[in-house]
Amino acid sequence: MPNLSNPLQNIPPLCRGDRSLLRRWLDQPITECLSFCIPAILLGCGCYGFTMGLWQGWEMASYVGIKFPLVIFATLLVNGAINGMLAMVLGSGIGFRQSIQFLLAGFSLMSIILLSISPITFFVALHAPDPSDAGAQQWHRVTLLTHTLLIAYAGIVSHRSLLVHVRNFATTPRHGSQTFFTWLAGNLFVGAQISWIMRPFFGTPGLDVQFFRNHPMAGNFYETVWNAVTSLLSY
Amino acid sequence: MTDEQAPKLPEPQQNTPPMPPYQPSPQATDPDYQSMKETGFSHILNDLLKKPLSVIYEVKHGNHSPLSALLIVTLASLAIFGIVLGMFSSGEQLWAAPVKIIGGVLFSGLICFPSLYIFGSLGGMDAKIQHVMGIMLTFLAITSLLLVGFAPVIWLFSTSSNSLVFFGILCLTIWIICLTFGLRIILRASKIMGGRRGGHLNIWAVIFIMVTVQMTTTLRPIIGKSDSFLNLEEKRFFIRYWFEVMESESQSGSPRAINADTGNNEPKRPRNKK
Repeated sequence: MPNLSNPLQNIPPLCRGDRSLLRRWLDQPITECLSFCIPAILLGCGCYGFTMGLWQGWEMASYVGIKFPLVIFATLLVNGAINGMLAMVLGSGIGFRQSIQFLLAGFSLMSIILLSISPITFFVALHAPDPSDAGAQQWHRVTLLTHTLLIAYAGIVSHRSLLVHVRNFATTPRHGSQTFFTWLAGNLFVGAQISWIMRPFFGTPGLDVQFFRNHPMAGNFYETVWNAVTSLLSY
Repeated sequence: MTDEQAPKLPEPQQNTPPMPPYQPSPQATDPDYQSMKETGFSHILNDLLKKPLSVIYEVKHGNHSPLSALLIVTLASLAIFGIVLGMFSSGEQLWAAPVKIIGGVLFSGLICFPSLYIFGSLGGMDAKIQHVMGIMLTFLAITSLLLVGFAPVIWLFSTSSNSLVFFGILCLTIWIICLTFGLRIILRASKIMGGRRGGHLNIWAVIFIMVTVQMTTTLRPIIGKSDSFLNLEEKRFFIRYWFEVMESESQSGSPRAINADTGNNEPKRPRNKK
């Protein structure tokens, strides 16, 4: 049985998808869950974000280390109400508080996976060429792809584990799956836009290192994708 | 339903049966997973090759932990392998190559250790940190021992080859072959400790191989000659560096010494070949 008095002991059962851990979190006051999940997300995403920005220097690394956990929390905050409502409307038997706990548990697992890879990405970042070097553009593309793959891997693993929990907890597995995929769609949709607002994360060579771009709220992620697609087709 | 009526929300499950405590998946039985008959240094060497799971059994259940013996085996084997690699260029590389090989492998193990623990847990492995440390050291010790087995082959080519590219590819191939054998023990140990299919650990294995391969570029030169012990200022991705070295050698038209720091052609210095 996981010991809630020592947060570190929650890591292996969370990784293994131990159902009793999540059941205990749901039964205990929400502070039990928050006291583990929030530090885990801060530490995991913070450290990983730091290594993402490190190739552009310590300033960028610090910015991304702060912004990456913020993206997670902002997404949960913006979607918190609708996630809880959808869970109820879809007949899953999951309430507001439980929906937050489920999602926090999922993002904690993702953060722990990213934290465990951070020493490697830190080492890789230390070997990046200087952003003003000739090979910086190529490195930028490689690092963009690598980090996207690693974050996607951590996200898929954690959400797959979360899906099992939600299906077990919901009134029926079908309702659990519906709820889960609704949350996933909403979080992806909002998360992409929040990431867009909080850009840059990797830092394009040649552009200034900034916490936010000059007009962060001008335009949105989907407009940019649409413009890119149309310009590609017209070309 | 009228506006006055609140929407009827489905009731959550009230009588949820108590969850059973976590039970790891039934542990696979492996005939090798048994206590070592004797725990002397020579027996550890023997069991590492024949029954490596018995070494992990000792780490987990034994009274005398073989961790220090595993570390000594790893260090000694890597030192021997490094000296043989250093023979390609001789001179200072005779001591620099073993130092770099030992440092690189241990540093790679160190930075990949947290992810081994987490990826193992993701696969269902139920192990404490010290057990995972034992698995990691057993894996490194087996890999290093196999490298020593290949040392005569490497020595043969180090004394007869002039091509840095050929010798580099040969060493990398042998390194990956040995790693593959070593990595198998991690998968077997994971199954013994309740792990399911090794999907996550396979991903970890790919990451580990990539890290060690990048380490060969970071710690360059390991097999070529250089004016400096390390070249940390000039940062390179390993693929780019390899292409640069191959290009330099192919442009020269004949095998010649390449400055292993930069990958550029430079006047060949005499190799102290016997």
